Amino acid sequence: MKISLKSRIVSAFAVTALAGTVVVGAPTAANAAPQCATASYVTQCGGVGADGAPYAFIAAANFNGTVFLYSHGVRPAIDIPATLAPVGPYTKTNAAEPGPLAISGDLTVINSLVAAGYGVAGSGYSRQGVNATEALAANKELIATFKEKFPTTKTVIAWGASLGALHTQMLAEKNPELVDGVILACPAANPQDALIAYFGDALWGFKALFDPTIKVGGYSTDPVVRAGEQHANIGKVLTVLGKLSAGLSSGAWPDTSSPAGKALEKAGIPSRSALLTVGLMAGVSTRSKHVDGTSGPTGAAETYPLAVAPAVAILENMGATLNYGTLLIADGELLAGGKVYDNSKTDYAARVAADADIYSFALSGNSAVAGIIGALAATPRETADAAAVAKIAPLIGLTGKITKPTIIFQAESEEFVPASIVQWYIDGYAEQYAAAKMKAMADAKKSRSYVAPTNNLVVLWAKTAAKYSQFTAAGSPDLSATQGAGTGHCNWTAAQWLAAANLMTATLKDGKFPLGGKITTTARKVGLSYDTKFRVPLFKSLQ
Amino acid sequence: MIRINRRKLITTSAVLAIAALTVATVPAQALNPNMGSDPGVTASSIKLGITSPLTGIAAPGYSKIPGAMKAYFDYVNTNGGVYNRKITLVSKDDQYIPTTAVAKANELILRDKVFALVGTLGTASTKALTASTQLSKRGIPSLFVNSGWSGFADSKAYPTTFPHLPSYQMEAKIMAKYVKETYPGKKIALIYQDDDFGRDALAGFKTAGLTFDTYIPYASGSQSLPATGAGWISKLKTAGTEVTVLFGVSSASTAALANAYAAGFKTQWVLGSVGGDATTIAATNKAYVGFLYGAKGFSFAPATTDTTDEYVKLFQGIYAAAQPTETFDNNVLAGMSNAFLTVQALKAAGANLTRAGLMKAIETKGSTFANPFLTPLGYSSTAHIGAQGYWVGTYGPTGALTPDGGKFAYVVYTTDSGTGPVVLSTYKRPAMPAKGL
Repeated sequence: MKISLKSRIVSAFAVTALAGTVVVGAPTAANAAPQCATASYVTQCGGVGADGAPYAFIAAANFNGTVFLYSHGVRPAIDIPATLAPVGPYTKTNAAEPGPLAISGDLTVINSLVAAGYGVAGSGYSRQGVNATEALAANKELIATFKEKFPTTKTVIAWGASLGALHTQMLAEKNPELVDGVILACPAANPQDALIAYFGDALWGFKALFDPTIKVGGYSTDPVVRAGEQHANIGKVLTVLGKLSAGLSSGAWPDTSSPAGKALEKAGIPSRSALLTVGLMAGVSTRSKHVDGTSGPTGAAETYPLAVAPAVAILENMGATLNYGTLLIADGELLAGGKVYDNSKTDYAARVAADADIYSFALSGNSAVAGIIGALAATPRETADAAAVAKIAPLIGLTGKITKPTIIFQAESEEFVPASIVQWYIDGYAEQYAAAKMKAMADAKKSRSYVAPTNNLVVLWAKTAAKYSQFTAAGSPDLSATQGAGTGHCNWTAAQWLAAANLMTATLKDGKFPLGGKITTTARKVGLSYDTKFRVPLFKSLQ
Repeated sequence: MIRINRRKLITTSAVLAIAALTVATVPAQALNPNMGSDPGVTASSIKLGITSPLTGIAAPGYSKIPGAMKAYFDYVNTNGGVYNRKITLVSKDDQYIPTTAVAKANELILRDKVFALVGTLGTASTKALTASTQLSKRGIPSLFVNSGWSGFADSKAYPTTFPHLPSYQMEAKIMAKYVKETYPGKKIALIYQDDDFGRDALAGFKTAGLTFDTYIPYASGSQSLPATGAGWISKLKTAGTEVTVLFGVSSASTAALANAYAAGFKTQWVLGSVGGDATTIAATNKAYVGFLYGAKGFSFAPATTDTTDEYVKLFQGIYAAAQPTETFDNNVLAGMSNAFLTVQALKAAGANLTRAGLMKAIETKGSTFANPFLTPLGYSSTAHIGAQGYWVGTYGPTGALTPDGGKFAYVVYTTDSGTGPVVLSTYKRPAMPAKGL
């Protein structure tokens, strides 16, 4: 991003103007013209879309014709009380989010882009939760509104994080004419209902072993009752997690455990082995923010990684997996009009077969795994409503086709939207590219000139470090220590967002991605890795 | 009528002359059209990689394997290498943690760009790294893995993996024959590792028709907890066990033997080949080696003390020069045998070395490779089977295993991983190649 002298002067004012807030007072009337204010060369606009979605956009006097359209990540569709900490307190909001990190008060990305002459825009959407339909409409409308205000707009770069990345990709798939470049950070996607299965399997395993009253699906259609059911589920999950944490060393089971769980306890199988089994059944990562799986506390450095660490990592990861699973499955059912999770045919024994040896000590051996899997038979399977399943697919389904230059960045170990999603994109694009290559070769036979297809996908990984666990004096994992690199959900820095933005603008300018060495250097400078041979496992349900 | 003008003739002659000159003077890679497509091999070098436990619960004993392999490779290098290529071995420590083994294998492949993996150790680690790094899809050879899990012989499921140990199923079948014939009517117990390692053994015992009065499974790694071994002995005592078969790693043998001694419990120990390594047992406590005395053991290689064996003699000499302060034991013999077999495979692959060519050579010629083992190798294009039998011996007071057939008179039994019978082997090991190269 080269900045001219004029731009630099404008930028200086722009940064000052934006330092406090990015969102101007929005008009209350839906579909009215945006309300704009210009100060220090920076124009900030706010408005409300046709369906009531608040939006905001900003550009400075040095606007260069390129706007970044941001799609924010998931926000629960219901309020969550403080009593359900750390999931709550949360108050439902449709506040517009014109760029990454803005919601947390960090305006670095927005400031830097606007100062460099780019526009930024983002909606808050009229509805939260699973809101792909609303997001698609709002994003399309916002692009038009921005272009109307800034007619010199030539290029739209759509970017988003988490569920916002699903919205971004959906926009690119359904309206490719509206976007020129795509940036997907920690993208959510539900290929062949794999994400629903991921959340559902984790919840169902918890229900089957640790608390039979946990709800996996079948939420009420009454909004108040449904919210209450979700709150109750979150509360139960938090309680069970607390009890499992307390029993990590002793192997004690929560007193809420199912009869099958209690029988396993009687048989001497520790609760941590059952917890790990459930995590592996669903495909939850065995590395978490504070547990690397290869380090142990003093005195247990050799046995801890084998015997305990995988279960501790699952325990730390399960909070996000189960609670967001509760919120999203409940909301998905509401949209689809019935149950969307189905495990009636899932073979959990096959799911954990390959893992049984790898985590043998932590699982207490193959016989214990067989016992745990056998105990699941006591809990009825979930059967989805076929009509609901048919309805949810077009609502949140993506083809994964990449038709515009696309950058994806993803943490290797992530508990909410697993890295498997990115592997799905990579594998799909590999097939897409191979087909394009075949076509180019066929064309070359006629034209006698081979033109290789242009690569449109770059994936930058935040790889999980080999060792980052810290331990307290008592020998417990220190959950207050610095989070390990390449772990957690969407923990991107401003520098990483800006690196992706810079890479995309350079790519659109040149018409192709730079050479691998340059991408590698760009990525390395912000702690990411460009490694075309790196792979992560696919979703368990897709393996 | 074919017309050849003078100009064409001169050109043809020049081409032929240049070709002859090239063959005579240019190093091997110029002859290989694929040279450069496979990483880790140049005209003068072959880079191999191993991930194994150098630290952690399985390090005692096993940590000597990479050093032993390197000693033999260095010996080969000083004798000209393989087709003038010197072999280097990059060694990584996976602590016997399968997920770490995956990471280390990735480092070897992507960062160190090795030509092939060799001697990866442990069933769980080898299975995990094979799947996660997609060795098969990427056509990366995984040579002579240190695991006897019978699944690795499945060339469809593991097309680039080559075991060299006899399978645990074969071992269990041979153990079963021995136990049934030697201890009829005795109360027999089995302590086994509760994973694919032990499951393979269970399948072998079942095929051979041996059932146990007591079964004691343990999760891999749990033997390092003090209560585990004590629990086994308590169960054995309660059951009145007279003969105890232990199909586990040497640290499990240590836990069993030490706790039995502490509890004053006497039983006839019958140890699987993996679990009878005196060095590993001594690493915990030198005094424990004495507990091995009188236990029965199984091996497919010559005894480490058998200096009448030309391989043992050669390896002892090489190792003494390379590691003068270290003891020559089963782990060293295993490592050097592994390296020896690797060199035979590289030689068989020819001067134009490619990954595909190397694997093809093992499949087509591997059953005839020179090697130190006392049983035949079974490699073919349809099955990746290594050695195929065992001899029975007794541990002496220093932990050395000597054959029951008399001083270094090996009575070797052979079988398969299926339902085939256990029979006396008639295999005659071919003479060692000159200088052991």
